[in-house]
Amino acid sequence: MENIIEIKNITKEFRVPDRREGLKGSIKDLFSRRYHTVKAVDDISMEIKQGEIVGYLGPNGAGKSTTIKMMTGVLEPSSGEITVNGCVPYKNRTRNAQNIGVVFGQRSQLWWALPLIESFKLLKDIYMIPDEQYDEMMSLYGSLVDIEPLLHKPVRQMSLGQRTLSDILAAFLHDPKIVFLDEPTIGLDVSMKAKIRTLIAELNRRKNTTVILTTHDMGDVDALCERIVIIDHGKMLYDNDIEHLKKFFGAYRTLKLRVRGDMEQEAQRIAEELPMCSVKTDDNWISVLVNEDEQKVVSVLSQLQNSHDIRDMQLEEISSEEVIKRIYEGGVE
Amino acid sequence: MKRKGLGFYLRIYFKILAQDLKSKMSYRADFIISTFGMIFTNIAGFVSFRIMFGNFPSINGYNYYEILFLYGFSLISITPTQCMLDNNWSLRQQVYSGDFIKYCFRPINLFFYYESEIFDVKGLGQLAFGIGTLVYAWAKLGMAVTPLAVVKVTVYLMTASLVMAALQNAGAASCFWIENSFYVLDLAFRFKDYAKYPITIFSTVFRFVFTYIIPIAFIAYYPALVVLRPEDVPLLSWLSPPAGCVFFFLSYKLWMLGASKYNGTGS
Repeated sequence: MENIIEIKNITKEFRVPDRREGLKGSIKDLFSRRYHTVKAVDDISMEIKQGEIVGYLGPNGAGKSTTIKMMTGVLEPSSGEITVNGCVPYKNRTRNAQNIGVVFGQRSQLWWALPLIESFKLLKDIYMIPDEQYDEMMSLYGSLVDIEPLLHKPVRQMSLGQRTLSDILAAFLHDPKIVFLDEPTIGLDVSMKAKIRTLIAELNRRKNTTVILTTHDMGDVDALCERIVIIDHGKMLYDNDIEHLKKFFGAYRTLKLRVRGDMEQEAQRIAEELPMCSVKTDDNWISVLVNEDEQKVVSVLSQLQNSHDIRDMQLEEISSEEVIKRIYEGGVE
Repeated sequence: MKRKGLGFYLRIYFKILAQDLKSKMSYRADFIISTFGMIFTNIAGFVSFRIMFGNFPSINGYNYYEILFLYGFSLISITPTQCMLDNNWSLRQQVYSGDFIKYCFRPINLFFYYESEIFDVKGLGQLAFGIGTLVYAWAKLGMAVTPLAVVKVTVYLMTASLVMAALQNAGAASCFWIENSFYVLDLAFRFKDYAKYPITIFSTVFRFVFTYIIPIAFIAYYPALVVLRPEDVPLLSWLSPPAGCVFFFLSYKLWMLGASKYNGTGS
């Protein structure tokens, strides 16, 4: 399959003025200003294929938005090459815009005062969508979501969930090759989140649209993304499929125990008995982190059963969230 | 992809305009109040104009009706800016909050797309008022109504309106560089109040400033002279159509330059 997005060693630097403190400092700033450069994105490379859904993750301020702005042509990279759908986005912003759709979680791009259907008609004209394609898209939307009650409602009267849904529909309307979704489920309730995830997955499947998704919600990642890219401090930390990531950390499982006797003392004893595992305790549970490559959970359990009176137990898989947290904190190495 | 020409943009503009009017009229109280507000603003402007002229029968050789002509002329040439570039007033806020970025993802001209979002209907009342004033002054001055004169006035009005638009664009675009740019735009817009007087009443310094630096003399005075004093037209009057186009073009370039430098706030 061919690459729809190719990014080679892009870096984006911003010049930020050093502001001095206090009134005196502000006056000094007026006359002489010192700057330092901040690398928002630092030497990132990736290739994205047509039809992929890529989860683009990282803590706040990691450089996600900056990368997306470069892919959409709003920002020019300081160095490096970037091509989206065969053209350089910042040099052909309007041409690039024809092939992409963008949704920013909390900034609706629809006409605030207009009913959704009128916004759609305007978009049809702006993107010069042929009648057939428009009708086909509308009937597809009709089959995927309950769109009828939304169509005649002005956007400003919509709930956040309805608005996000409408924004996503609007972004896919001109059948773009790529859709960028920046935190599409932020602030939504559980059922709306589920609805939006299903919608995105369906549209991706039917239209083979490439989707770049930034989110802090692991639910989105688990439901949609096969591949994830993680960045922090502008640097790429991870780029691979999510299964690989889980496998990497999947060797670890947490065995949670409740035993008779004083929890603190028992935990101490368990830690001595199992030097390979890390043992933690809270009010209710003693958690034993087991690396299954070294020792099977079952054998750990049977060993502990002999020396302790186990009353209750749980076995936990490591969650994607946990995995990502570990990566943010310590890297994959 | 097909090239998007003037026809394309006009069609889009009128479609957005029609939708916008429809939705505005659905808020009836709002529509009625703002219409009344507009009428009273214009009446108040006119009354203060009358009172001033009650005290000075002529200003620097211009009689009451000639000044009235300038007044009407300036009202009309300000209208397009007021109606079509009203969104410039929220530019600062949008840039500051980062909302401006949402305009950057459409496959059409950014300036057009941004300004097309809002059409200020109130300006149309001002247009009617301005035309009324101009026609009344024209009749009272006893100037001939020849097709040539009408064409001249129309062309000069259109180019004069570009000057006002340029002033406002440039003022608004300052927000891409200056954080607290409201004063720049406000100042730029307030200068229009001086546009309705003959430039000859100002001192040499201001005459220079209003002609070459903040070119408000091109909003009414210079272009109006072409019909008002046809026997004695200064060179700058003949130059006002190209000047309008050049000023507007420069302000548009400035606006687009600012927008292309814009990088949004983090989200």
